[in-house]
Amino acid sequence: MEVEVDEKELKAAGAEPLPDGRRGLRIHGWEIETRKLSILTSSNLQLWEEKLQTSHLPEMVFGDSCLILKHVDSGTRIHFNAFDALTGWKQEALRPVEVPAAAQWKFRSKPSEQVILDYDYTFTTPYCGSETIEIDTEKHGREEISQGGTYSLHWDNCEEKIDVVSLASKEPILFYDEVVLYEDELADNGVSLLTVKVRVMPSCWFLLLRFWLRVDGVLMRLRDTRMHCVFGVGENPIILRESCWREATFQALSSVSFSSSCMCVCAFACLQNHVIL
Amino acid sequence: MSDLDRQIEQLKKCEPLKESEVKALCLKAIEILVEESNVQRVDAPVTICGDIHGQFYDMKELFKVGGDCPKTNYLFLGDFVDRGFYSVETFLLLLALKVRYPDRITLIRGNHESRQITQVYGFYDECLRKYGSVNVWRYCTDIFDYLSLSALIENKIFSVHGGLSPAITTLDQIRTIDRKQEVPHDGAMCDLLWSDPEDIVDGWGLSPRGAGFLFGGSVVTSFNHTNNIDYICRAHQLVMEGYKWMFNNQIVTVWSAPNYCYRCGNVAAILELDENLNKQFRVFDAAPQESRGAPAKKPAPDYFL
Repeated sequence: MEVEVDEKELKAAGAEPLPDGRRGLRIHGWEIETRKLSILTSSNLQLWEEKLQTSHLPEMVFGDSCLILKHVDSGTRIHFNAFDALTGWKQEALRPVEVPAAAQWKFRSKPSEQVILDYDYTFTTPYCGSETIEIDTEKHGREEISQGGTYSLHWDNCEEKIDVVSLASKEPILFYDEVVLYEDELADNGVSLLTVKVRVMPSCWFLLLRFWLRVDGVLMRLRDTRMHCVFGVGENPIILRESCWREATFQALSSVSFSSSCMCVCAFACLQNHVIL
Repeated sequence: MSDLDRQIEQLKKCEPLKESEVKALCLKAIEILVEESNVQRVDAPVTICGDIHGQFYDMKELFKVGGDCPKTNYLFLGDFVDRGFYSVETFLLLLALKVRYPDRITLIRGNHESRQITQVYGFYDECLRKYGSVNVWRYCTDIFDYLSLSALIENKIFSVHGGLSPAITTLDQIRTIDRKQEVPHDGAMCDLLWSDPEDIVDGWGLSPRGAGFLFGGSVVTSFNHTNNIDYICRAHQLVMEGYKWMFNNQIVTVWSAPNYCYRCGNVAAILELDENLNKQFRVFDAAPQESRGAPAKKPAPDYFL
């Protein structure tokens, strides 16, 4: 859904909407854009299965939807898309989680020829965004070097944390959007959902990429990546990134009272790093 | 105009019935449904519809494309409720049509027609929100237990919500199931409502969840041969194009919820069979925004952290 933005507010912040009906804006040398399209067609889904060497993908893959944040001067593009996220899923290849009914099924008489599928049907991914740097070279003109190449971003670990207090201030939001990258209903055994939300204010942009999983009666898993970039600090923009993974079983959660901290039952990991463009 | 006709007109406007009316309607429906077989016989011509999931205004599009009941004879393959905003109105309209025209509409059970699933995926909450109590949910879920498990069109096309079961070789085995119960977690009745065809297995496969069967091409071939049927028509899985054939046209998935969950952008389909069982898929889009009653609210920018 599009959000109407006050043109005056945009102007005052030095921002302008993207042309040609694209969703997003230009602000302080950044071009921030979202694209939201339908789920993949059956034939495209098949293409993806071949490329990813898998026979199973989420029921709803919003394969053409994305969030792109492009820093025009440095040619840096930070973007979020389902394909790269699913590449991460394929590489991590977690063991499947059994649903509660599985216990009963172990006693069922089995058909004589039975194949047990063992891919990670939760589509859990370590994905925390994609990076591309477009650089001008004299010989080749404009060329793209993707993540893992010589010019990929170098994230340094840091102690600094995202300034939640400043983000909680009611600065006007010039652009806001949420993009679903993929979703699966686990055949009605819960939900697996990867989304990215972005908001752009006069002073900064902020985004949250969230993988959320609930396997009914078994576990919940949350993998968050937040990025924050304050405009106009120093010569080159600095992006602060925090990744936070949490996981807890229903069993562990039901055994603690509401008053006690839930941390004690959650597997919990947090990491901060930043990059200077 | 009878009370029932008036109720149908009211439901067609997406206005729910009073709790007392729902109760009376359900009692009448039980009398009809209890007489139906687990493999309900259906005559052609008939129009087969897949999952609806409470997308009331999209179901109205379906009736625009397929024609009104009773003029068109319908077979719905279950999953009337959950996920969409209007499960109550959707299910009650179908049920009222069933009571009014029992021979012109057949409703079979999907895996969402269950007490357990509806408590997770929306129907329970919707009943509570619209009626202030869960009585209507109770009446409806009691009806679910009476819904037939499958249908057989002119002895040639077997229709079921999910798929096949390793415990079922013949249609007679389905006929002997005692269906008047909550959908169990395993066994033949569970499989019929839950299982999926799967390309990468030939025989039977077990889902990585540890529960739920997958069946391959050879399973379908032998089932169709044993029971002397042409093909299986099922629903249960989202298909971007509205329908999908598998295993050399031995099984087809029909999906009738366009723009599923109001965001997938998929089209929906229904399968029309004429008196000679000639097939025609009718593909349709979601209802335009302006025909959905209340306009969709633009979400306020969210100060998420």
